[in-house]
Amino acid sequence: MQIFSRSLNKLPQVVGAAATLGLIGVTFLIWYYFSPWFTQVGYAPSQPVPYSHRLHAGQLGLDCRYCHVNVERAPLAMVPPTETCMNCHQLVKTESAMLQPIRDSWASGTPVEWVRIHKLADYVYFDHSVHVTAGVGCVECHGRVDQMDQVRMEKPLSMGWCLDCHRDVKAKQVSLDAKDAPKGVAYEGSDSEHIRPVAQMTNMEWKHEARVDTPRRLDPPENCWGCHR
Amino acid sequence: MSKRAPNPALPPEIDAAPEFPKGHVDTPPSDEAMFLSRRGLLGAMAATFAVVGAEGCRRPLEKVVPYTRMPEEVIPGVPSHYATVIQRRGDALGLVVESHEGRPTKIEGNEAHSSSYGSADLIAQASILELYDPERSTSPRKAGAPASWEDFEKELGAKLATYDKDQGAKLRLLMPPTVSPTVIRMRAALAQRFPKARVHTWSAVADSNARVGAKAAFGEVLNTLYAFDKAKVIVSLDSDFLQTESGNVRANKLFAAGRRLRSSRDPMSRLYVVEPARTTTGNVADHRLRLPASEIAGYAFALAGELAKAGVQLHDIQDAAAKAATGVKVPPKWLSVLAKELVQNRQRGVIVVGSRQPPEVHALVHSIHVALGAVPGVVSYTAVADPDELDVATDMKALTDAITAGKVEALLILGGNPAYDAPADLAFPALLAKVPFSAHASLFVDETSQLCTWHVPRAHEYESWGDAQALDGAVGVQQPLIAPLYSGRSDIELLAWMAGSKETSAHESVRATVRGELFASKNLTDCVPFDQRGDAECRDTAGNVAHAHEFELDREWSRTLAMGVIRRPTVFKAPSLTLGGVSSAITGRKTVVRGPGTFEATFAPCAKMVDGRYANNTWLQELPDGVTKLVWDNAAILSPASAKELGVENRDFVKIAAGERSVTAAVWIVPGQADHTVSLTLGWGRKGAGRIGNGKGFDAYPLRTTDTLGFAAGVTVTKTGDEPYFFAQTQENNSTEGRPIAHEATLTEYKAKPDFAELETPPPRALPLWSQADYSKGHQWGMTIDLNACTGCNACVIACMSENNVPVVGKREVWRGREMHWIRIDRYYVERAEIGATAEEPAVIFEPLMCVHCEEAPCENVCPVNATTHGPEGLNEMAYNRCIGTRYCGNNCPYKVRKFNYLNWHNDAVWKETGGLPETLAMQQNPNVTVRFRGVMEKCTYCIQRIQSAKIKAKRESRDLKDGEIRTACQQTCPADAIVFGDLNDEKNPTAVMRWTKTDRRFGLLAEVGTRPRTMYLGKVRNPNPEMA
Repeated sequence: MQIFSRSLNKLPQVVGAAATLGLIGVTFLIWYYFSPWFTQVGYAPSQPVPYSHRLHAGQLGLDCRYCHVNVERAPLAMVPPTETCMNCHQLVKTESAMLQPIRDSWASGTPVEWVRIHKLADYVYFDHSVHVTAGVGCVECHGRVDQMDQVRMEKPLSMGWCLDCHRDVKAKQVSLDAKDAPKGVAYEGSDSEHIRPVAQMTNMEWKHEARVDTPRRLDPPENCWGCHR
Repeated sequence: MSKRAPNPALPPEIDAAPEFPKGHVDTPPSDEAMFLSRRGLLGAMAATFAVVGAEGCRRPLEKVVPYTRMPEEVIPGVPSHYATVIQRRGDALGLVVESHEGRPTKIEGNEAHSSSYGSADLIAQASILELYDPERSTSPRKAGAPASWEDFEKELGAKLATYDKDQGAKLRLLMPPTVSPTVIRMRAALAQRFPKARVHTWSAVADSNARVGAKAAFGEVLNTLYAFDKAKVIVSLDSDFLQTESGNVRANKLFAAGRRLRSSRDPMSRLYVVEPARTTTGNVADHRLRLPASEIAGYAFALAGELAKAGVQLHDIQDAAAKAATGVKVPPKWLSVLAKELVQNRQRGVIVVGSRQPPEVHALVHSIHVALGAVPGVVSYTAVADPDELDVATDMKALTDAITAGKVEALLILGGNPAYDAPADLAFPALLAKVPFSAHASLFVDETSQLCTWHVPRAHEYESWGDAQALDGAVGVQQPLIAPLYSGRSDIELLAWMAGSKETSAHESVRATVRGELFASKNLTDCVPFDQRGDAECRDTAGNVAHAHEFELDREWSRTLAMGVIRRPTVFKAPSLTLGGVSSAITGRKTVVRGPGTFEATFAPCAKMVDGRYANNTWLQELPDGVTKLVWDNAAILSPASAKELGVENRDFVKIAAGERSVTAAVWIVPGQADHTVSLTLGWGRKGAGRIGNGKGFDAYPLRTTDTLGFAAGVTVTKTGDEPYFFAQTQENNSTEGRPIAHEATLTEYKAKPDFAELETPPPRALPLWSQADYSKGHQWGMTIDLNACTGCNACVIACMSENNVPVVGKREVWRGREMHWIRIDRYYVERAEIGATAEEPAVIFEPLMCVHCEEAPCENVCPVNATTHGPEGLNEMAYNRCIGTRYCGNNCPYKVRKFNYLNWHNDAVWKETGGLPETLAMQQNPNVTVRFRGVMEKCTYCIQRIQSAKIKAKRESRDLKDGEIRTACQQTCPADAIVFGDLNDEKNPTAVMRWTKTDRRFGLLAEVGTRPRTMYLGKVRNPNPEMA
């Protein structure tokens, strides 16, 4: 009597094909999830008003904080209200067709619906204020916004990328006790290239060259509840 | 395998049955989601993967919607806090409400308010959910059909216009008692337009007896304030002053202060409680006497006689009391020892009488306080907000009599729910239907609204302007936190409109009232505006002309709004006692005699539902009762002896009958209940509450008549023989089984052996698995919970739900042990001869328990995916998005504080039929805490969101954290200050929690397992009188 049915003769081929397909699948998944495709670096949707950061922040030299006012005191830097646009555009380019949605919003009170570009998962509780007041410049996460006509996502904003910076800053923090420090005051400084003087926060050109004074001991969290709650 | 022992907490047929219980299962079904066939499940999974895969290819378009015009003071992502006040029975509770971009989410107490001192109770905590209740009334209704406010105004306006001729003789109003000066002012304005109209007052839970008693004793109605912190001896005669009586938060705060033990040298007050049924107050008593409510008056008279014998001058009252006390049978020591102790502590003794006790007992105790010299030290008096409110039952009867006589043509009911809770003998629902024009303003289309010709939505207290006067006379301003969600109007607006007042908004009315109060606080009277700016010309106390300047008043108004209360010293009254009034009240009293073989039914406001007004609140429904630990139900409470006599067990139905009236309810047996009494809490068994509240528990109102509002002696209780009821309980074991879990000692034992708790805790037996982490640097968070202060009031449980988006699961899921509360308050019965606690009358110890953040956490060792790990600040951290739901951690947790989301509770539990969590309830949720999904484990986080936001704030300002800057939600609301949280590693400034962890009463719960918990407990100390033994 035959123990195995005839149909089982095909088993090796089937297993072989499945294994090959599986391997290809796994390769694809790894390639995909580790690529910028997944993190969506380069995402640059068009906005209801083609607002140019290159013009405003780059050429006109508006400080980032003119619009993103809460960046130093709140978790959200805040996309500005229509009011902020109208501060100038009541007088400048009052006839521009591109600005029609802004004028409509101002007249009707209906907000302009901008498309979100920099998005973190819902379970991430990111706080702008604590980063900015530590000396992490805007450019660190958002790239050269002053050179973008249409804002694009420059950095992956993934957890690994966050932690790279957190670990680097933690490792390169220099703390001198009062007795060792110049002039006898306790000194906190950073050798990390991610940290700049707080005054240079919005300076897109700034380059790290030497040790930077920090307003406090920088101790960025690496534990889960540092960012997830 | 041997047969498992029967579980006494379960009824036999549930215990024995392999599957689910039959019979009374009335919780919303939540099983369908889990009962897919295997084939269906695979199909669903395949479809899900396909959809998820397809979705994942494209990034969903997400919009950022900024303001067009930025509101002042709003910083998106940073909550604002507003002071407000809510009305309580005879009292006001000052609150601070957290608001996220105009969306109130969390209630806290207001530190500037004398009825709150920064704490809130469970009702106040849960009131935020009432605001967002999806079943609130959304529009006016005429005869059940939606109508508009314009229709209502037109119809009522026309009616009122015709009443101007006869001065409103046929117009009646019915309102619950109020403490709002503006409502009282508007009521007076209405009386000016319609002098013959009458305003009746009714609430099922009121202080009428206390008011009538005060009037008998002093000739005027007064509030009594007790300084529990200064008292040495506190006697409660049927008063649950720590939970269900007015001024409970304040009482809790002061009571805890009078018993706080920093070391074994500290003094501590002693509490005697005489009561028929276990209450929060009775549970923390040093000596508790169970006595039917009808016999407590007799006990009070006998105690007065004993005091008179001991030399307390009660004049002719003592004769009346002696006569009234004849035939009273109580343990003799409860008279002699108490009298002796009260006399020894003349100026430091307080007797608190419950609102259920008849007026003569209140009057008698006022005279005892005066005779003992407790006034004006530990007992003081203040003016009441509404001196017109006296006996609500009489007032209600006057209304029903008028309706019967056909004298009422229009009846306007502002708030309350009299069709549900009016005394049964008045047959109010039937009479209400007879009134030609009736209108009910309320939050819900409830039992009363359904019987009225009109229903109009009433604005919630967080949606409208108002004011409220606290027990000590402090007037607070109620600010709206949000515009009315459903076109509701407040009582002030309705009354002003009916009175034809010139004040067009409640804001204006309240401001005018506060302005008057400010004038009064500056001793200015007869103020008349004299110029455009609003400056006023007034008279001062000497009768001279004085000016009040608008800008000063404006500044005071802003300050009042910011503080939540008008700043001015408390005005105490010094009333003189009318001895004749007291003795005639005693002689003229109605005696209540319970016939042999009959029972006494006692009615008490429910700690959760009050009089039924919160029946549709899911948080309160699912909150375990302090004693029985039952959820979603009340029960007919019987003592073990009475149950045996009746032949009933837990879950059996009994019929409680008083003459024609009867109530059928399921039994729960509680040791410590007075024999031959059956207790029912009010506010259950509603029919018009909404989907959540309808049909939950047993309605006690059909038994409650004008004469038996507090208790009905002489009822019969019989077993019905129906199939047992299905109760769900969160704690099914009543005893610590002799294990060293909740440590306690008497004050004498504590003095002899201050570290009793730690001595009783066995040393760690298990060695750590790993090398110890270094916890000597940075912040190290820790907590202490003082079992001596905890009264088991449950405020922390609701505060935690509100802060941390803790879901509600429904009765059946609780029965399966799936409740999600991050804090549970374990209640253990204690039998100890030293404190006179026996099996029939055990003492109680409460132990609140949430994640203790073990340094050697067993949960972390078993997580296969590192979803729970240890942070550098000593916190046991839970990363929800890593959790795959193995539940190993929950099984390995010796404290059983980890809770698993078996379903997506927010959507699939009680609100399933609406297709998920209603939008308004989502508005309540804290945006700084993740809403957990199905399949993940969760537990107490020590309010990590509060820790992080405080740390970020400190970092931003480049400074160190201050002690007390971070308060967990449970700590902040605890009226007894039993919970202290803070940094255990602050060498520069020792923190409060460091001091407490070093006190002698500390012990680590289950420290013998070697978990090194961060939460330390402080052992309970009882203060029994050795002479009582």
